[in-house]
Amino acid sequence: MTVIKPTRTDAKAVARGLIASPFDARLRPFSLYQDWMPWAGYVSPRRYDTVETEYFAIRNQATLFDVSPMHKYRITGPDATQVMNRLVTRDVAKMRDMRVGYSLWCDEDGHVIDDGTVFRFSPTDYRLCCQEPQYSWLHDIAWGFDVTIEDESHGIAGVSLQGPTSFAVLERAGFAGVEAMKPFDMMHADGDTLISRTGFTGDLGYEIWCPAEKAETLFDRLWPAGSDFGLRPIGFDALNMTRIEAGFIAPGVDFQSSHHALRPTRGRTPFELGFGRLVAFDKGHFNGRRALLEAQKRGPRYVLVGLDIEGHKPADGAFIYHRKKKEAGHVTSALWSPTCKRNLAVAELKVPFGTDILSDLWAEIYHHKEGKWERVMARATVAERPFFKHARRGATPPGRY
Amino acid sequence: MRYDSIVIGAGHNGLAAAILLAKQGKSVLVLEKNAVPGGMAANGEIADGIQGPQLAHLMGGLGKSEIDALDLKRHGLTFAAQSVPTIALDESGRHVVLQGSEASFADGGAHPDAAAFKTLRDRMVRFADKLATLTQRPPPRLDGIDLREAASLAGLAFGIRGMGKTDAREFMRVLLSNAYDAILDEIDDGVVAGALGLDAVMGGHIGPRSPGTVLTLMYRSIGGGARHIPAGGMGGAMRAFEASAQAAGAEIRYGAGVHTMIVEDDRVAGVLLTDGTEIRSASVLSSLDPRSTMMLAGPAHFDAEMVRRIRKIRAKGCTAKVNLVLNDAPRIEGLTAGQMAGRLLVAPSLNRMELAFNRAKYGELPEDPILEVTIPSLADPALTTDGKHILSAVVQYTPYELKDGWSDKTRAALANAVITALARYDSGMAGRVTAQQVLTPMDIETLTGAPGGHWHHGEMIADQMLMLRPAPGIDRYALPLGGLYLCGASCHPGGDVTALPGCNAARVVLAQETRRAAA
Repeated sequence: MTVIKPTRTDAKAVARGLIASPFDARLRPFSLYQDWMPWAGYVSPRRYDTVETEYFAIRNQATLFDVSPMHKYRITGPDATQVMNRLVTRDVAKMRDMRVGYSLWCDEDGHVIDDGTVFRFSPTDYRLCCQEPQYSWLHDIAWGFDVTIEDESHGIAGVSLQGPTSFAVLERAGFAGVEAMKPFDMMHADGDTLISRTGFTGDLGYEIWCPAEKAETLFDRLWPAGSDFGLRPIGFDALNMTRIEAGFIAPGVDFQSSHHALRPTRGRTPFELGFGRLVAFDKGHFNGRRALLEAQKRGPRYVLVGLDIEGHKPADGAFIYHRKKKEAGHVTSALWSPTCKRNLAVAELKVPFGTDILSDLWAEIYHHKEGKWERVMARATVAERPFFKHARRGATPPGRY
Repeated sequence: MRYDSIVIGAGHNGLAAAILLAKQGKSVLVLEKNAVPGGMAANGEIADGIQGPQLAHLMGGLGKSEIDALDLKRHGLTFAAQSVPTIALDESGRHVVLQGSEASFADGGAHPDAAAFKTLRDRMVRFADKLATLTQRPPPRLDGIDLREAASLAGLAFGIRGMGKTDAREFMRVLLSNAYDAILDEIDDGVVAGALGLDAVMGGHIGPRSPGTVLTLMYRSIGGGARHIPAGGMGGAMRAFEASAQAAGAEIRYGAGVHTMIVEDDRVAGVLLTDGTEIRSASVLSSLDPRSTMMLAGPAHFDAEMVRRIRKIRAKGCTAKVNLVLNDAPRIEGLTAGQMAGRLLVAPSLNRMELAFNRAKYGELPEDPILEVTIPSLADPALTTDGKHILSAVVQYTPYELKDGWSDKTRAALANAVITALARYDSGMAGRVTAQQVLTPMDIETLTGAPGGHWHHGEMIADQMLMLRPAPGIDRYALPLGGLYLCGASCHPGGDVTALPGCNAARVVLAQETRRAAA
């Protein structure tokens, strides 16, 4: 029998599989579990240590989460503001320079394609940061306009520094001027490093962006600065818990990108996702505007609501019933929140549930109990989002803790 | 003043729309960048001060109901020759005369394929009549279909059933098939097959073997497919459109190019001319192609998906025009004077046509050109003086983008290829030519604004016809920007001088703007 041994050159011929993040060499040694997941073509950590340890670190210390796999696009040129306004539903012309804005963008039916953050450097220079690849869509949007679109996804590394002591870590690392940054502010540091006061945790936190080749230098500056402040790397699982507490929605989870949904009924408007306030009808035409005007007139078909669910069994994927009988919707994200001490969920309800009918809602939860599946019907109460709110998130100057 | 409607382009479709709107008491302004009406069917100077049909040279699908609705007879539409015979020129000299469904040799002898030709052509005309009802209204709507439209669609279905089992089965079999297969199923390849095939592909970037060419053949066969030569050239017929529009109260401004459209509150509010004049209107109808129309309004007013659909409309012209001034009437041995005044086809076989299309696909000049020729001055001597004649040749399969680039040299080479091809039938042809005019697809684009110089402002093929014409979502004349409509050949049912897109569009505008006024 001939044995074919793969050689190094075999592997080199074509790059295949997931790629390592620019922070990989520094972060990989922290992994106690070797629990990795794919994210936008990168190897990404689900957890380094236990999820509980990482979760409590976000809420009580400082944490690093590698956001390099996020898609990043640079839109520059004389028509950049016009193109960004054509893309997203909010009015970026009203944003000040060096500010970050959360936004959604829609297809011609007014259905959300993706959400993300718009970094405004100047009226002729923007960065779009998002979960899904948007390169060809941006070119469709920009056709006929004078802009250049650059895919910076691989060129720019990013790390999210979140938690009560995150400011103290940055200060110790010697980043001057951070104390003056308000939420959604951004500033340049050391020329090619960018710090934005943004994050996915609903807590005090920053995101730090730098050229991929300087990622390790950045890490080497942050890590020692965090030694007295409980700094630790975290994975997706813990971050996702804080994401739900903070009331943020995720594409593919709480809504389906209209570019991926094959079924035409799966698209959702910003109104249906609870982001009507981010639709600026008065800014002129933008993608999906006419459909959204119709949608606004027609009213939402679905709504996303926060739910407080009786008991402590996480309601992931649970059906929601009215009077325990009529199906009203389903849970899209859920967790038992250790900080809020509440059993929380985000659910999509079919109107009139969630708009006119808010009482007598029940979650049908299946849970696995030592080899046996059990079913509970738990009372669900519509609750205000974000579930987790803390004054330290917005305090300027931020606390050191 | 503020007009009810502005029509961009005084081509025959723009004028048709203007006539119907003005007849309903609407104030209408037609803006034309050129100096004469007609667009692609206008007369122009061929050479030496001789005016003639520069581009289109035959009137085909203009139906009786449109002639009546547009009052064209009353305003001077007359023909120098009606239902002219089609002469399929044969290299061996056995030319074939096709008159309606009858085929015979030019000398009157019976043609062996006559019976098969008659069967095939009669069937096409029968099928075409079933489709004809679909051409006089907006295409069927697929979403939220309303009762009356459901009835008309059912009418088509019922009509098919009414054909009888054999015809109905044949209709469904060939509907999306190609002309090559459908024709050669019945007759051998040769000049008769070539004549039928040319009807399927004229003006398009398609060969006889391209899928969907049976549908285009049916489209050309609507109303029997007869061709007429208008008095005074095609431009003469265009003057009738012009006179009718003016009589109905429409104002026409020549030399008035539109620079941009004025958009206010997500609606078109008028236009800005190239000379800076601002003109206001409640609606704008554009007989230009969708892309040019979109650019005038600004792509910013269209969703990215619609911009992409409009950008991707296939409109690559593949048809040139060679016009010759002759010092004497051409003579082809075996043809009578009446036959010479007909429609002369150089389309020796479907195979030769497909090969000619191959060259065009790869950017090469035709070396064996496929031609539709008329000598309008034979039927209409008033076009010329001093015994001169105009020979008008449509050169199918001339690439828009020539590999060697279009220049005076390549233009002359194209004219030579045409003259050489004609000299096979009339050896004295070269000696009679005193002047020539060559209009490549690129020239046609410059002259008329038609994208790619395409006759139909967009390929006429199944995926760009009916509710897919000019593109999904804008098939019913209205563009997404309020008050803006398309009314040209790019719309359903499509190109050729039928006035149908213009009439259909005007009716949609009348209905929608009335509904808007009521709301």
